[in-house]
Amino acid sequence: MNTTINEVNGELVAVFSGRLDTAAAVQTERDVQPLSNCDGKDIVLDCRALEYISSSGLRIFLSVLKAAKAKDRQVFITGMNDDIRNVFAMTGFTNLFQFR
Amino acid sequence: MLLAQYREMLPNLKVLEDIALNRIREALDQQGITVTAIDHRIKTEKSLSGKLELKGGKYKTIGDITDLLGLRVITFYADDVDKVAAIVAQAFDIDWTTSVDKRKLHQLDSFGYNSLHYICSLPAGAADPAICSIRFEVQMRTALQHVWSTINHDTGYKSDVQIPREYLRQFGRLAGMLELIDDEFSRLRNSLADYRRRMQSLVASGQLDEVPLSSDTWESYLRTSPFERLNKRIAAVNQAEIFTVSLVPFLKVMRKLEMETLGDVQRFVDANSDDAYLLAVSELAITDIDIITESVGIMNLCYVHALKNGGGKASVLMILNTLNPSDSSTNEFMAQSIVHRAASLPFMQK
Repeated sequence: MNTTINEVNGELVAVFSGRLDTAAAVQTERDVQPLSNCDGKDIVLDCRALEYISSSGLRIFLSVLKAAKAKDRQVFITGMNDDIRNVFAMTGFTNLFQFR
Repeated sequence: MLLAQYREMLPNLKVLEDIALNRIREALDQQGITVTAIDHRIKTEKSLSGKLELKGGKYKTIGDITDLLGLRVITFYADDVDKVAAIVAQAFDIDWTTSVDKRKLHQLDSFGYNSLHYICSLPAGAADPAICSIRFEVQMRTALQHVWSTINHDTGYKSDVQIPREYLRQFGRLAGMLELIDDEFSRLRNSLADYRRRMQSLVASGQLDEVPLSSDTWESYLRTSPFERLNKRIAAVNQAEIFTVSLVPFLKVMRKLEMETLGDVQRFVDANSDDAYLLAVSELAITDIDIITESVGIMNLCYVHALKNGGGKASVLMILNTLNPSDSSTNEFMAQSIVHRAASLPFMQK
């Protein structure tokens, strides 16, 4: 699992690749920490190369969302594969995020 | 002489301005009163000179001038002027001998400047004694009274020419009209508060067929946790945590599903809960996902209701598009997936 964060056109873009399972969650949580300092910038979670997401991964996305909302910023998700879309649909997470 | 005293007093006036403003803001916040604005100013030397030219003999010391610092609280509603006044009276010491309620100065058949003016000082101990000894003015009025007095001040007092009687009378008539509008706004607010209380009581007593679906009544209904049992049942399949989310956006879906009263909504819940549970767990149970949001129950209720009523994929897509209008491709995929899963469940076999 690999996570990189870049600033693109005034937005913070976190690019996830691999499987975001329980084993990878601890490192990923550290990797997304810079997103909590998103003053004035919206966040994009780029999931084009994300193969799988577990409950631990959902909780990480949720913590990113909470931090962004506290700073009045928005979080967009882009490029989810069908399996991950299904996970978002069955858990109701589709109603929490905005999608591109 | 008075101007020299004013210049010496200016630093203390600035400190007083900050303290008084903060005290009013905090007191209003504590009482949950929203106002349109709190204006504040320290009288400029030029303005003071003008006042002294006009009424100089009236003042022996600078302390006799009570509006060197002025604050003005502008409220939405006429009723709130008296509430603000009570709050100001708690926050400051009031000099009742010089405070004026201009609203009560009018004859029964006259209309004009309406505002409540309190001459205040900080209570002893709230700041340095030199600052606590300075008197200042707090004006309280509604937004409409403020508009009237501002326009009246600009066109009347500052005019170089004598204003003809007919124009003055027109100002008076407008003041009367604005007083009526202020009263109507207050009456409307009270009526709405009564309506809300009545609807909340009907929801609490379960008389849901008498409660029309609206944003207020929907929120009251949600406070009764109507989907909690279903959510807990779904979550139990994987011992999942239920994450709290707002279900307010589902009001739009309820309307699209042609629910007109909370009674309709309750029947929709009662009729579809078992099937919504089956639909939700048909996918969740074969995963190890242990977190869901509070929207899962109502979402599956909506899908089941739409499918049972023969709406097919189009009606499921309508629900998804109502909730997430920005993502039509994900909605299309999800609608297809939901219809596919539902096809094998008992409620679709009947």
